[in-house]
Amino acid sequence: MGVGVLFLRRALAARPSRAPVAFATSRRLLRTSPPSRAFAKQLFLGKIEKKEVFPFPEVSQDELNEINQFVGPLEKFFTEEVDSERIDREGKIPNETLEKLKNLGLFGMQVPEEYGGLGLSNTMYARLGEIIGLDGSIAVTLAAHQAIGLKGIILAGNKEQKAKYLPRLASGEHIAAFCLTEPTSGSDAASIKTRATLSEDKKHYILNGSKIWITNGGIANVFTVFAKTQVVDSDGSVKDKITALIVERDFGGVTNGKPEDKLGIRGSNTCEVHFENTKVPIENVLGEVGGGFKVAMNILNSGRFSMGSLVAGMLKKLIEMTAAYACTRKQFNKNLSEFGLIQEKFALMAQKTYVMESMAYLTAGMLDQPGFPDCSIEAAMVKVFSSEGAWQCVSEALQVLGGSGYMRDYPYERLLRDSRILLIFEGTNEILRMYIALTGLQHAGRILTTRINELKRGNVTTVIETVSQRLRDSLSRTVDLGLTGKLGAVHPSVADSANKLEENVYYFGRTVETLLLRFGKTIVEEQMVLKRVANILINLYGMTAVLSRASRSIRVGLRNHDHEVLLSPPTLGGRRQETEDLYCKSRKTWEKRPPGPDI
Amino acid sequence: MSWAQAILLARGLSWGWGGICGAALTGAPFSQAPLWAPRGLHRSAIACNSDSWLVPPSPEPPKGPPKALAPHEELFTQALGGTRDKANFVRAVQNFGQHNVYKRGHVDFIYLALRKMREYGVERDLAVYNLLLDVFPKEVFRPRSIFQTMFIHYPRQQECGIAVLEQMESHGVMPNKETEFLLLQIFGRKSYPMLKFIRMKLWFSRFKNINPFPVPRDLPQDPVDLAKLGLRHMEPNLNATVTIYQMPSSKDSTGAADPTEPHIVGIQTPDQQAALAHHNPARPIFVEGPFSLWLRDKCVYYHILRADLLPPEEREVEEIPEEWNLYYPMQLDLDYGRSGWDDYEFDIHEVEEGPVFAICMAGAHDQATLAKWIQGLQETNPALAQIPVVFRLAGSTGELLGSSSGLEDPPPPPPEGQEEEEDNQQRQQQGQS
Repeated sequence: MGVGVLFLRRALAARPSRAPVAFATSRRLLRTSPPSRAFAKQLFLGKIEKKEVFPFPEVSQDELNEINQFVGPLEKFFTEEVDSERIDREGKIPNETLEKLKNLGLFGMQVPEEYGGLGLSNTMYARLGEIIGLDGSIAVTLAAHQAIGLKGIILAGNKEQKAKYLPRLASGEHIAAFCLTEPTSGSDAASIKTRATLSEDKKHYILNGSKIWITNGGIANVFTVFAKTQVVDSDGSVKDKITALIVERDFGGVTNGKPEDKLGIRGSNTCEVHFENTKVPIENVLGEVGGGFKVAMNILNSGRFSMGSLVAGMLKKLIEMTAAYACTRKQFNKNLSEFGLIQEKFALMAQKTYVMESMAYLTAGMLDQPGFPDCSIEAAMVKVFSSEGAWQCVSEALQVLGGSGYMRDYPYERLLRDSRILLIFEGTNEILRMYIALTGLQHAGRILTTRINELKRGNVTTVIETVSQRLRDSLSRTVDLGLTGKLGAVHPSVADSANKLEENVYYFGRTVETLLLRFGKTIVEEQMVLKRVANILINLYGMTAVLSRASRSIRVGLRNHDHEVLLSPPTLGGRRQETEDLYCKSRKTWEKRPPGPDI
Repeated sequence: MSWAQAILLARGLSWGWGGICGAALTGAPFSQAPLWAPRGLHRSAIACNSDSWLVPPSPEPPKGPPKALAPHEELFTQALGGTRDKANFVRAVQNFGQHNVYKRGHVDFIYLALRKMREYGVERDLAVYNLLLDVFPKEVFRPRSIFQTMFIHYPRQQECGIAVLEQMESHGVMPNKETEFLLLQIFGRKSYPMLKFIRMKLWFSRFKNINPFPVPRDLPQDPVDLAKLGLRHMEPNLNATVTIYQMPSSKDSTGAADPTEPHIVGIQTPDQQAALAHHNPARPIFVEGPFSLWLRDKCVYYHILRADLLPPEEREVEEIPEEWNLYYPMQLDLDYGRSGWDDYEFDIHEVEEGPVFAICMAGAHDQATLAKWIQGLQETNPALAQIPVVFRLAGSTGELLGSSSGLEDPPPPPPEGQEEEEDNQQRQQQGQS
């Protein structure tokens, strides 16, 4: 019993420690401080932007109270009224459940208050996500509605559009959907076939084409559609460019196919949507005509961070159930929880959950800071880590549960099926790894340009500098980036881990430099290298989040903070190896042939 | 004679002791097989078979003197009444053992049997080889002292044993445990046949699957099937579609079909179709051939549809559109990439070739037949109607042609039947590897 209870307590203890900083949205807009340097990008230079991540974002008592008002009834609703098994079996969320969700205001969580939404900060949104994550179908339906479906209107819409659409969307009277994917076009924007042509009176766009795998496609009334339009360039040439349009179902010509039969998240509505000569008024263009590409990118980038808390919420529930099983099931007069191999699985689950929760709230806290911080890399990292962690943890939990994990009578196999989609949608993890690595390398590459150019030209001073630096690296390995020490950002009890992190970050910076020197812009082709760079960065970010959160817990004196301290070294242990590995390899490639698939 | 000695000497250089002894013992064949003297000299030498890899065999069939029968020939001629198959061959070998209790002349018999194996179609049968080795008397030729080992013990018999193994080798037959046991019984562990056996065991396993594009052992007899196989062999892309544009009019004629209706089989990949669709109609494309392709011991001829390489100024540079990938940048905005000293390639002068759009194999190699192929291609490649097609046909030299087009006179089809016979021996060995 001991293990199970322990994990339960830890899971509960984690709750008060997540720390939302909620600035009212309107107040945030007034701030004009310059966008802060993103933490992840600085990691590529081997630096830790301490201000961004230490201390762990705090939440004020008012916000905490406010959140708890939401959390109580929501949790009650999800545990008592939502019948996930039935949703999964029938492939449909019952209407009364949807109505209740609407009444709770869940369809407008991030819509500003002036438009009738809840106007939650990112941190609060993440907190509610933990509960919503208990049912995959509902979570996906809500996410498709507000994380991507209506996000375009919030991000790129003008005042009239916001006033016209947001109130009804926030109340749930209308449901939104995001229509980007086409049979021939996944992430390749150039192959989009849907076309919007300007009518003769220049007041409408005539929209034609079909989109596939549209979540909420069958129940939505408002669609954000991306279509090719002809745009006259500044130099007079006519080009096909993507434009984002707000399309209402009432415009006519909008039809949808029957709901797709899916592996998981079966209750969410996914279907094809066809547009046939749909007349879209010219006022419904989102952003600029021809500016749809940027709109799509912004929407996709902004929607990702919430997956971290969604998954963490689901996993905490799963750990609870699995622990209950492991503490009651007896074999050889022992509880399952007394076996080392079972305990190891729980340790893995607890660790993964802790890390992804820390990452999610750290990112949410960063996003809530004044200004418009660009946290798209961080958000992508949260998405990749949490989706893979979810798959891994659910799989381990099923292992603990043995045969009952495999049976339809229990909820576990549904969780497994539901969590598989996480690795695929909102940008597959492979594609996001490319995004993480390339965006960071672009940043580092620009800054290192002069240095690398000098090296390439054979500037004596730079070469000697580099060589001596490398010599120093190989002789002594003490790196101090100022995390530890008297005025350090982390608590002394995790100083060891912090030192390792510093070392890792430093060598990661050197690795990036070597890679850039070696490949330059042709690194785009080296996907195996990029994957490893992304993996390391994700690990570094996870380590930082854990250290930051554990330090805070100790300082604040949270219950069970000693467990959090225990969790951080294993988080770091395995990861360190990877950084060093790539560092060594990147140095070797310096002397050898460009790497094959190995590096 | 001096020529023969020179060969033996050369062999001696590479074989050290054995070679020298072999040279010293050249007299042996004379005494045992007088009829075979001139020929037996090369035959009996170990090196002779390896020479035949380099020197093309003389047109005279190596079947022995036609007039006088070789010793023990009658064993095989007796069996002639029946069919030439494995059973009769085995009977002939067993008869030798029964009629000849002392196994007199067994070396000659084995050589004869080796030559006959092809006729009886047992040249790939391991059991038959083992049976042949079993003809040797056991324990007699085993060296009993270190000196006997040193000075090849019973060289003629050892050479004969090696000849058996060598024929196995050239037909790709892997010796088994039984072979080993027989060789041990006959020649002992420290003998040349045993050495050969060990080497075969070593290298066969390494070379067995070395060909990444294996050709099936038994080729189809139907020319259409053979053409399909050849085309698939040249174009391993699984997306490629094989189309039979014309079936031969008369099925029964296997080798060369009826000249009026020869078979036409073509292959084309979707990529080739796309490339042909993008071809600039102002530039002509060429039908060239016939080129030869060897499939084991069969030679087939194919034609290609190709274009010249585009001059550099007309090539389209593939550029990355600005807004292409929704998720990650397709190119980095940096002004450095791999530099010159980062190039580890050898300095190779590469000749680029123009695109090949399709390949075909036809029963006849004249323009009329190939025009039918082009017509058939037009159904799947509408763009072909606009592009001028130039026929550049020549004899079956297999070499690339010059600029002169063979419009006036289609060359006669290569004499397939004859050539096949001749090349059988030559190619059979190369086909093995």
